[in-house]
Amino acid sequence: MDRRQFIKDVFLWSAGASLAIPQFRIIPSVLAAEKPQPLLSVAKGSDYAALVSRVLAPLGGMGQFVKPGDKVVIKPNMGWDRKPEQAANTNPLVVMALANLALQAGAGKVMIFDRSCNEARRCYANSGIQAALAGLDDRRLKMDHMDSRKFVPVQISRGKSLTSWEIYKDALDADCYINVPVAKHHGLSRLTLGLKNSMGVIGGNRGDMHHDLGQKLADLATVIRPKLTVIDATRILLRNGPQGGDLKDVKQLDTLIASADPVAADAYATTLFDLQPADIDSTVAAYKMGLGEMDLAKIKILTA
Amino acid sequence: MVRKRNIPAYFWRRLSQLLFFALFLFLFIKTDYSGSDELEYAVNILFRIDPLLALAAIFAGKTIVALMLPAVFTLIFTLVFGRSFCGWICPMGTLVDGGASVIRPPKGTAGSDLRAVKYYLLIFILVAALLGLPLAGYLDPFSLLVRAFSFALYPAFDFAVSSFFTFTYLHAPDWVNAATEPVYELLKKSILPFSHRVYGLGLLSLLLFALVLLLNHWQRRFFCRNLCPLGGLLALVSRFSLLAAQGGNEDCGKCRQCRSICRMGAIAEDRRISTADCNLCLDCLALCPRNKIHLSFHRPLPAAGSYGMTRRAFAGTVATGALLPLFLPGRLLARRPDPLLIRPPGALPEEEFLGRCVRCGECMKVCIGNALQPALLEAGIEGMFTPMVRSRIGYCEYNCTLCGQVCPSGAIKKLALPDKHAQVIGRAFFDKNLCLPYAKGIPCIVCEEHCPTPDKAIKFREQSVVNARGETVTVLQPFVVDDLCIGCGICENKCPLPGRAAVRVTSEGQARQAGRHFL
Repeated sequence: MDRRQFIKDVFLWSAGASLAIPQFRIIPSVLAAEKPQPLLSVAKGSDYAALVSRVLAPLGGMGQFVKPGDKVVIKPNMGWDRKPEQAANTNPLVVMALANLALQAGAGKVMIFDRSCNEARRCYANSGIQAALAGLDDRRLKMDHMDSRKFVPVQISRGKSLTSWEIYKDALDADCYINVPVAKHHGLSRLTLGLKNSMGVIGGNRGDMHHDLGQKLADLATVIRPKLTVIDATRILLRNGPQGGDLKDVKQLDTLIASADPVAADAYATTLFDLQPADIDSTVAAYKMGLGEMDLAKIKILTA
Repeated sequence: MVRKRNIPAYFWRRLSQLLFFALFLFLFIKTDYSGSDELEYAVNILFRIDPLLALAAIFAGKTIVALMLPAVFTLIFTLVFGRSFCGWICPMGTLVDGGASVIRPPKGTAGSDLRAVKYYLLIFILVAALLGLPLAGYLDPFSLLVRAFSFALYPAFDFAVSSFFTFTYLHAPDWVNAATEPVYELLKKSILPFSHRVYGLGLLSLLLFALVLLLNHWQRRFFCRNLCPLGGLLALVSRFSLLAAQGGNEDCGKCRQCRSICRMGAIAEDRRISTADCNLCLDCLALCPRNKIHLSFHRPLPAAGSYGMTRRAFAGTVATGALLPLFLPGRLLARRPDPLLIRPPGALPEEEFLGRCVRCGECMKVCIGNALQPALLEAGIEGMFTPMVRSRIGYCEYNCTLCGQVCPSGAIKKLALPDKHAQVIGRAFFDKNLCLPYAKGIPCIVCEEHCPTPDKAIKFREQSVVNARGETVTVLQPFVVDDLCIGCGICENKCPLPGRAAVRVTSEGQARQAGRHFL
């Protein structure tokens, strides 16, 4: 696929979605009833490499998501110039283990990137993720800085608050997009989890997102669709998020959550902070749009 | 047997010029974050071997600047080898020579003799520095050069290259991109800046630099001969230098080839070579038809050449340098400094800072956030090109200490990270008439999200407000905890308002001006 073809495809696909959606619009309750019960896997342990395999096992392992030759994107949160123990970025060991599994599953290419908030080189380096991935030493692995040429305008036809935005081509283009947020506190949205992590693949002035953030994140989730969400709660940031900086605000949980349902993953992760799924606007908004399940009673939770 | 042709003497000089220029470019590009918190190279070495800047900083601060001790080496080098620093090493000199090959200056002695001007400038700069008016950075060749490169040439180069590869990326077929993209990748990793940079005073810096090259039109190496105050200082020293080019004399008959090709106008009518002017380019060695000119440690007596200064002009220069500083305390900013003049973390108190700062632009080149920008008139006319934080352009990265690492004169102290974290450079203030949660009842607090202190200096309260549609809404309204704010400016930088930020940093509370703040 070449670039121009790709951009054409994006437009066609966006237009197609806008045409197709009304025909298939189903009210969420009906949708929930028709859908098979979403699976969510939770695992606890201090060997994080093994923990990643364990949490994926009940979902069918990495092979369920990554097919040989796939273009895979692993999207951690590495938005802040903070050290791994400060819990502002995804745990590098988790990212490394996921990348390793994707490579073992035969991925043709594994890309890791994030549009950071602090200076990008400092974030890539000090998150510890760059060094961790360099340790894998595989030529299929690409951890490049984001290329401003690759943000393409995308129509968000199902969006209620957001109708179009620039999104990173490689994120849209992936055969398998794996979202790996770190679970942490956030002033405005209370928590930042999977849906919020998608802000790392969008262009433009992201501050504008903060008006009606919950709905905008749900709108974004209609076009940025991870096949797998793995929430890193090996350690979580309880206060002064999203960047923290004080180890007193960090709590070690040694927990990973994995699900193919992005809303279910966020909903479950919320409980780690003694909050309810309904406390998080983006979870509620995405649930209402039929993007996933937020009712914990309706989610099949497998402890791995 | 074919005899090998002799390599002309000037070949070695040209080689040296090329190598030192390459070294200059290398260090220039390495004046950047390298993946670790500490820089790997002494990227500021060019400024630390500059005796003009060292003297000016020492005179201004009335103290020895240990960082600039390498400048002594240049003086000793000049005592031995004359002004060969100008001819063989100085990257500005190399570019002036390069410019001459395009501009084609008139030969030899053409043009009026202005060589005394550089001595007047030197004396004026040093006297003024001693009495509180720091001007050395304006005309120092390295400062001129690095400013032009940092503020104008490098960003333009980046723009040209990136535009080309963006064009090929968007419009060229895949087989072209298969070739161009790896090249772009390589360039990005080697010589291009990591991100596109913007700078104030770029065009002015370029203009001053271009002027230095264009002056070649009137005389070859016009700037070096007549204006360069560093050249002036080295000329004063090289009068006593051991090594000198010599050999021409009355026996040469009518031949004055050496005189006509001399790029420094150093050769007198009688073919004696002035050690104050000769930069040992060695052109005359190769061109002398009778091979009379040679380098020798045996000096001709008496030292040829004069400085061309008059006693009257000398006294006038000293008087001007001494009197001008008297006008500084009468300016508005002596009573009320510009509140937007935010200096980098670790900057000395303003007066000392101005005296020490050599206007080299290194801190602004290295600033990872593109936050440090050359001042225009915020610090007075003598403060032009000194660094200040413009938060709306870029913010001071919390964990970065690069500016203090590159400062060649210690005007910005090198701070350990914990000290940097505690260094207050200013304080943020909210403008509630603009700030969305206050003014319009719209949720935002992007500033709070980005505030980097572990205990956030920007906090928020939940408030019910009536928005423009008359609805009562609950929003989070941000406020600053003064004791926690260090003035890094990320809040102002990231404020999503399109125009003026609703939170702005002023120099209020800055650590370096003790006892001046109310917060």
